[in-house]
Amino acid sequence: MSIIKKIAKKDLGKLLDEWSRDFTVFSPSKASGIARMEVWQGGEASFLDWYRNTVIPPKDIVLPLLEEMFSFSKSEEGYKLETPPADDSKRLIFGIRPCDARALSIIDMTYGDGYQDNYYMQRRNNTLLVGLGCTNPYDSCFCTALGGNPHDTTTMDVMLTDIGDGLLAEAVSQTGKELLQKTAELKAATEEDRTKAENVKQAAEKKISRNIETEGIAEKLRACFEDKEFWQQTAAKCVGCGICTLLCPTCYCFDISDEKTEDGGVRVRSLDSCSFSVYTKMPMENPRSEKWQRVRNRVCHKYEYYPMLFDTIACTGCGRCIRLCPVNWDITQTLNSLPG
Amino acid sequence: MENSNQSKLIAEAKARLQKGKVQRVIGFAQGSLRFVTTPLITSDVDELEKLVINPFIANNLSNYLVGLEGKTAITAKGCDSRSIVSLIQDNKIKREDVVILGIPCTGIIDLAKIEKLTGRDRDEIEDINREGDKVTVNIGEDKKEFAAKEVLYDNCLHCDVPTPEEYDVLIGSPVNPKPEAEEVKLKELKEKLPEERWRFWQEEFSRCIRCYACRNVCPSCFCQRCFVEESQPQWLAPAPHWQDNLLFQVVRSIHLAGRCTDCGECERACPVNIPLRSLTREMYDIVDDLFDCQAGSDKDTPPLMTAYEDEEAEGLFL
Repeated sequence: MSIIKKIAKKDLGKLLDEWSRDFTVFSPSKASGIARMEVWQGGEASFLDWYRNTVIPPKDIVLPLLEEMFSFSKSEEGYKLETPPADDSKRLIFGIRPCDARALSIIDMTYGDGYQDNYYMQRRNNTLLVGLGCTNPYDSCFCTALGGNPHDTTTMDVMLTDIGDGLLAEAVSQTGKELLQKTAELKAATEEDRTKAENVKQAAEKKISRNIETEGIAEKLRACFEDKEFWQQTAAKCVGCGICTLLCPTCYCFDISDEKTEDGGVRVRSLDSCSFSVYTKMPMENPRSEKWQRVRNRVCHKYEYYPMLFDTIACTGCGRCIRLCPVNWDITQTLNSLPG
Repeated sequence: MENSNQSKLIAEAKARLQKGKVQRVIGFAQGSLRFVTTPLITSDVDELEKLVINPFIANNLSNYLVGLEGKTAITAKGCDSRSIVSLIQDNKIKREDVVILGIPCTGIIDLAKIEKLTGRDRDEIEDINREGDKVTVNIGEDKKEFAAKEVLYDNCLHCDVPTPEEYDVLIGSPVNPKPEAEEVKLKELKEKLPEERWRFWQEEFSRCIRCYACRNVCPSCFCQRCFVEESQPQWLAPAPHWQDNLLFQVVRSIHLAGRCTDCGECERACPVNIPLRSLTREMYDIVDDLFDCQAGSDKDTPPLMTAYEDEEAEGLFL
């Protein structure tokens, strides 16, 4: 029996307060000067007025831009390694969009496959996803082309639908069910609320017009891998910055560096980008020294290699790479114009 | 910037590409998002039909000229023409390899400002029209009118070269510079106490994700190997600590002294809204005050940092 409840928008702040007693609750915020998920500070939940999606994807909460792996020091007793205290705090991401939630399941495939990345998996396993379906997708969105939709519940624990004066909350996972059952602020939903939610879902899906043909796309990419002219033309206007990768909800590559302190150092890892030439730089060789090779890699990794490895396209159509690109380099145009 | 100019631009570009005078044309085309334009780099005559001139042609396309073989025709607004000249001064491109299709410009519309003023995102707006000093924005039934100066990019408000100084053809009539408006952001920053200003930049650079878009879109950042990529010695941590992020911009600004034309591209490209132009504009003004130098204003003079005059002699060096 599915659990469906409701919260009035005016009471949303109280709901987040209630959840904040058990979780570190993250919700959309512009407090830092840019839209991202930040720790809920209490008060009125006014983000619903402007929130469509964040600039910084919520992957940031489980895979931060920068983190300390361990520190090391040398003393008379010898060398000492210290790992930072394990972060086992319970987190709840409120309002994560379906594209961004699905993106986490795509990162899970790499970070939880075979070798378990403890740093990531610990945070990931302690994070509840309370998703909010989109009623007003951007013109850069194309989730429907990739098997998603503005109200897709994949990877969610709870899914919310904006029904005007309130949000309808539906349990998706067992954890989500337990959360909804014990939350006092939530009220029972009526049949009318459910009908409203159905209409909202259908209307939202119709608003997405950007599309790509994914049928046979991996094969097409494989076939044009050596087509240097195509990739050079495609890459011509790309400036080679890291926006499309660092702000992609599925990109997970990192770099590791040691930072010296007085008596030792700290090993940190920070997100890296295959758009950078140094990403593949080796002492004698750089297999992707040219921009067109790097552009090809970004496209192929998402649409050819990931499907090969995990039977999944590593793109959820969130559209950030299109929306935030300083020169409007549009991956959907490339994918729709592959030779052959 | 009306449509007859666009037709003229297409004709001029076509003529040169068809006759083989240039190998390619670089200009603007309509982008894949509403109002947004995108660079068009093409050797295909038919593609030139896509060229546009409108109030959204924001990018500084001169960035694409470095490293190209053969001759290129390029559309250039006033600021872009200065960047082209600056690249000629720095010996990165040759004047004879570039055909400059100059576009007199009355300012480019900053969509972020329109979004802020209307409370609506770019893709929720039906239409934006500029007529003279007025910009009208249509959102559904609602029609809003703004003074152009409310919605143009900051650097456009302080532009002293609306008409390209260096060009082969001028598409349209020259535009006179408007009296300079006050640099509000910069003034406010300068009025802060040093420790307040430090906190301000600390906060701003805490958002930096080190995507290097500011560097990569900058025509003056043409180093083949940027100092941030050096590892022996390592000048900067590759990880995005705010201190390193700030240091990166400070060093970048100093490297750009005498090269930066205040085109504003770095600030436009920044995905996390760091007001980078407050640094580069300040550097631009300092260079102007100290050396009476505006980058890219004279292709026959050597770049500022390689020029030396006797009266600049300082005891330390001579």
